[in-house]
Amino acid sequence: MNTVYGVTAIVLVCLTTLGVGAFGLRLSRTTSDFYVAGRTVTPYRNASAIGGEYLSAASFLGIAGLVYSSGLDMLWFPVGYTVGYVVLLVLVAAPLRRSGAYTLPDFAEARLESSRIRLLSSLLVVGIGWLYLLPQLQGAGLALRVVTGAPTWVGSLVVVLVVIANVAAGGMRSITLVQAMQYWLKLTAIAVPAFVLLTVWLGDGRPGPQLTAGTAVDWAQPLSGFGGQDHPVYATYSTLLALALGTMGLPHVLVRFYTNPDGRAARRTTLTVVALLGLFYLFPPVYGVLGRVYLPHLPDGLRADSIVLALPEAVVPGSLGEVLSAVLAGGAFAAFLSTASGLTMSVAGVLDQDLLRGRLGRLTGEDATVVQGFRLATVLAMVVPYAAARFVEPIGLATTVGLAFAVAGSTFCPLLVLGSWWRGLSTVGAAAGLVSGGVLAAGAVLITMLAGPISGWPGALLGQPAAWTIPIAFSVAVVVSLATPARIPRHTARTMVRLHTPEDLGLERSTRHR
Amino acid sequence: MSNEAREHTGTEYEELQRTEEFGELRRRFRRFVFPMTALFLAWYFLYVLLAAYAPDFMSQKVWGEINVGLLFGLGQFVSTFVITVLYVRWADREFDPRAQALHDRLEGGRP
Repeated sequence: MNTVYGVTAIVLVCLTTLGVGAFGLRLSRTTSDFYVAGRTVTPYRNASAIGGEYLSAASFLGIAGLVYSSGLDMLWFPVGYTVGYVVLLVLVAAPLRRSGAYTLPDFAEARLESSRIRLLSSLLVVGIGWLYLLPQLQGAGLALRVVTGAPTWVGSLVVVLVVIANVAAGGMRSITLVQAMQYWLKLTAIAVPAFVLLTVWLGDGRPGPQLTAGTAVDWAQPLSGFGGQDHPVYATYSTLLALALGTMGLPHVLVRFYTNPDGRAARRTTLTVVALLGLFYLFPPVYGVLGRVYLPHLPDGLRADSIVLALPEAVVPGSLGEVLSAVLAGGAFAAFLSTASGLTMSVAGVLDQDLLRGRLGRLTGEDATVVQGFRLATVLAMVVPYAAARFVEPIGLATTVGLAFAVAGSTFCPLLVLGSWWRGLSTVGAAAGLVSGGVLAAGAVLITMLAGPISGWPGALLGQPAAWTIPIAFSVAVVVSLATPARIPRHTARTMVRLHTPEDLGLERSTRHR
Repeated sequence: MSNEAREHTGTEYEELQRTEEFGELRRRFRRFVFPMTALFLAWYFLYVLLAAYAPDFMSQKVWGEINVGLLFGLGQFVSTFVITVLYVRWADREFDPRAQALHDRLEGGRP
């Protein structure tokens, strides 16, 4: 690969991100602006921003890697990413938007009237955020290594620094603008090379992937292994469930719904998001399929996740291939930067509000300003996953992201669905659900990431925990709630009316933002 | 909008929750949303089921290298979008006007 082209593209993406961020900074004045852009973002721009934020390393590189290594029916994976949005929209988006809360912990506290549940939710937001940040940083390391041969820690560090600069300086308003731009950047970066490569392939008259000799014989066979794992049907369904129910529990996704002025705009936004995501997901499979045609055997030192970056030069050697690779590398960096920015924003917000602020105030004798505290939290939000990325062996970008979805689905999905639809949810029940789902799912994730491959049913159950942890978390929350009716929050009736009547009903809204 | 100017007590909320209209609003929502969610999740899970147990059907060639599985997979994106459109139209047409009526009643017809 031509290093100069690739590095130029990556530097351009980083500089543009910082530049647009600085432009947005001038618009971000009050604290409310700082967090949710004053709720003045139009549905169209908001949808682009959601798309920009959501399309992460897993989408840009991971899907193609999955299709390349496991077959075309891996299409269910990106469909799952999209379906999660629809579940979120119809089940919880409107009640959440109406709760007046800004973050998941805000909602938990408002609904269950308990500061302990708030703390529990805060810890989970930070944990899920870090788990989701990990593959972004690993992906950045991987991409920069393919482009320049630099060690993986360099690419991760670039993303860490750009994101810290952007988030700490500008807050949400600038991030909304940056994210909206990132979507179109990413779409262009993946679509244009895809069209060029497809044209070359058609002109080439090379056979389709099914006819390629060697390993690819049964490649087109559906569910040909889910990355070589045992029990692929279980693994697939479990991941599907995690994607469909986990999206609502991702901290960086929910906060976007508060930037809509009302429920109607929130629905318009989601509709546009589904269209934008569907459009984007047409392209990664193209790389997986063409990868099978032109690179039937993965060259040494490459992971399936880098097939997108390696493909152009295999199809069109020479400077055209080099330019296309550079464009894709730039797009991949846009993906890491945007997702990492959104996640960092959410994690830092929660770290700052719920875990650091009191302590920081005592340490500095109330000297630290609100914004200083937020900046410190931003640094902390990035340093931990960076350290983890240095020590944890990558297990596949899409797989790691799937695990973050599993933890989110096992904790926040029961809290949000039961919290918005069931009056009988008690404080103790909600806490028991969060703890049981969180401990089981996070435990399974840690074992999977640290213990290396495990075969047979234990490996499948631990590697894709959502199918058992989500039902357990729901059951625990319901059973414990039924057993402790005295601990149903006092104002449940009032909260439920607020959650299920339109915003402009004029009932008092608590703005829980502090 | 001066929300502070409008004082609502806890009892008003409980009264509202007991009204026929509010119950109707929630029932309508559940009658539409819960079955629809179940239906589209089932449709989506069917894709994986077919991929796992009907590989011959899924790998049937339709045109050139394009097989049923590929069309089905892309169709999932289309159906997801269609479902979202249906929901948004339903919410605009059926749900919002009723919620607005409830609003007007509580506010004594104030805009």
